[in-house]
Amino acid sequence: MAGPIFNTERHVKYYLRCLKTFLPSAYISNDSNRMLLAYLTLGGLDVLGVLQSKTTPEERQGYIDWLYHCQVPSGGFRGFSGTDFGDEKRTSDNEAWDPANVPATFFALVNLLILGDDLARVKRRECLEWLPKLQRGDGSFGEVLGPDGTVEGDSDLRYCCCASGIRYILRGHSGKGVEDVPDINVSELISYIEACQQSYDGGMGESPFCESHSGHTYCAVGSLHFLRRETDKTPSAQLLSPGSKKFEGLVGWLASRQTDKLLGEEDGEEEEEEVADNDNEEEPTTAEVGGRTETESVDDLIRGLSNMTPLSGATISCAGFNGRCNKLADTCYSFWNGAALMMLDRYCVIDDERNRQYLLEKTQHLVGGFGKGVGDPPDLLHSYFGMVSLAFQGEAGLARVDPALVATERTVEHLKSLPWWS
Amino acid sequence: MAEGYANDPEWADITPIELNDGSDSGAMPLATIAYPSEYLEATSYLRAVMAANEMSERALNLTKDVISMNPAHYTVWIYRARILFALDKDLIEELNWLNGVSLKYLKNYQIWHHRQVLISSQTHFPSVPAKEPDFLMEMFAQDSKNYHVWTYRHWLVRHFKLWDSPRELEDVEALIKADVRNNSAWNHRYMLRFGPRDDVPDAGMVNAGNVDISPEEKGRLPVVDEDLVDAELKFAQEQIVRAPENRSPWWYARGALRAAGRGLGEWEGFVGKFVDGDMVKSSHAVEWLADVYAEAEKVKAVEMLTMLKEKYDPIRKNYWDYRIRQLGEVA
Repeated sequence: MAGPIFNTERHVKYYLRCLKTFLPSAYISNDSNRMLLAYLTLGGLDVLGVLQSKTTPEERQGYIDWLYHCQVPSGGFRGFSGTDFGDEKRTSDNEAWDPANVPATFFALVNLLILGDDLARVKRRECLEWLPKLQRGDGSFGEVLGPDGTVEGDSDLRYCCCASGIRYILRGHSGKGVEDVPDINVSELISYIEACQQSYDGGMGESPFCESHSGHTYCAVGSLHFLRRETDKTPSAQLLSPGSKKFEGLVGWLASRQTDKLLGEEDGEEEEEEVADNDNEEEPTTAEVGGRTETESVDDLIRGLSNMTPLSGATISCAGFNGRCNKLADTCYSFWNGAALMMLDRYCVIDDERNRQYLLEKTQHLVGGFGKGVGDPPDLLHSYFGMVSLAFQGEAGLARVDPALVATERTVEHLKSLPWWS
Repeated sequence: MAEGYANDPEWADITPIELNDGSDSGAMPLATIAYPSEYLEATSYLRAVMAANEMSERALNLTKDVISMNPAHYTVWIYRARILFALDKDLIEELNWLNGVSLKYLKNYQIWHHRQVLISSQTHFPSVPAKEPDFLMEMFAQDSKNYHVWTYRHWLVRHFKLWDSPRELEDVEALIKADVRNNSAWNHRYMLRFGPRDDVPDAGMVNAGNVDISPEEKGRLPVVDEDLVDAELKFAQEQIVRAPENRSPWWYARGALRAAGRGLGEWEGFVGKFVDGDMVKSSHAVEWLADVYAEAEKVKAVEMLTMLKEKYDPIRKNYWDYRIRQLGEVA
């Protein structure tokens, strides 16, 4: 069959290079995110279905040992080994400089699950005792505990999502063995998340009244998804209830993220758009028009606008996604928007074929992996999210992926086989 | 200062703590990076002073060095803030240094959080630092949609209660004038005009914490200044005619009406001027009409949605079909 091809062999090569050789020194600005980089690498190989065949059991055990090496004695995981000054030097006065980190803990747990570990060495109780200490009075979560137990880091939905994910993985269905550990305040967390929905466009921002953003929207929906799975009672009925204004507003906002204006192809695009917008940029605004009533001048301006030329679907072959209104398409937003729609069970509203064309023809890289925009070199984040977006659409050769844990269904099955999930 | 701690007499009393990546105990490190030697050395000294909980001038300089190589390091910023307060350093000087770092690393969460931590100090900053808006505009000159900067500016407005500060609205108007598609600026305007004004315990959403108010009412203002709403609607119309396919002012108008508890039908006349049969001057006007008709004239609403699907917004064909199906279900 003609048409674009997902180049499995090249992608496997790209990922194996990332796994088995040093990342270039430009990555030092991501040193503190090594746990995330590890997740993007292991996850990529797992989605490609080659993690078991391309690594040996000894290697996988070695990776598992490194993940546990990043576990903090008091529970939770570091983002990288760089803060570790040694257990023997660790005291209550300095432990804040080597803290467990909320996103890193979530990614470490998912990494262990991807590698088939049974989480037996995870300080499960300590980790669940640590988690509520990260929650603020407004229901949101921070990133780490600072000196004197202060909650450090922005109030933002990324931490809310990772905290909900940690709780989901470690409490499971039954919470067996940790029944006496105080839980986070779920209803306050849900209130905070719901307050982040921008009331006028339907999307969700980093915190209340911030501009709607697909990454944060994904985190909000993911967080509610993790929390919902736990109980039958759904306090967040509005946002997750089909037919409600909030739900339909969110679906509409997510659908409106799809665009044929692509990052990397913006040259000339902007000007072209001005023309499509009837060339009115230079028109005086009504306030500057003298002599007429203001209402009339707006009317005159409308009369002066030309009609739109109907668009033929055939001329638009590629359409990716942006993360905010009036921005350009970028590979990772195919994932952030798509995954949120998967969790809302509304993936059907997007144009999956044009998304596939965009990813395969525009951002898939010759050497394997995906770049951020058209013509960009591949990087770990965009490669993983580009592939997962294709996996959501059933691309041949890719494993099925759970949109909340963002790991293969095989990994999710493994999680559900753990004792506290039965 | 950037390298050579081992040979520097100032650091002679410190025994650096080497990176322990677990290899010695048989672990196989993941996401290994080809670290430059300067980075390895500086972070070895950082671990040593952190382990000693040292609050000193030299440690402060060391944090600067590490930040210059890895500005996303999450504890080095917290440590730096602690030292600044412990040594009672001049925070204006710190802000000046931070401005340079911010202009160099445009996409970084930690830098802006650090700024927020500093400015949060009531002792040092009982009111907004005079140069703050100028610096933020300098950031916007680099990227007028920088999410970190807008989020910070939003926080600044709430922290210092700047909703009615003339400078806020002036800057927003200048940015919208320069780029009418700057959705971030539109969002900021919405927050200034219609956002909650007090430190309510509802995380910022108007009425969100009030259990007596139905979910549909949340986000609406308790008291409405109709003149202000009318002025904002007029502003939106003026911007719409500049670029009718620009979604930002269309959404802004929906928000203004919603905040005032007024319906979309109020704009039926204005919006109708963009649609004449199947001759259309803005696809957003067609969508607006579909929403107005959805209330009582479902057949006409379906006509509008079909026009979007077939002619003016084919990328969203599946979405418009979804909307049409929903109307069928209701009918």
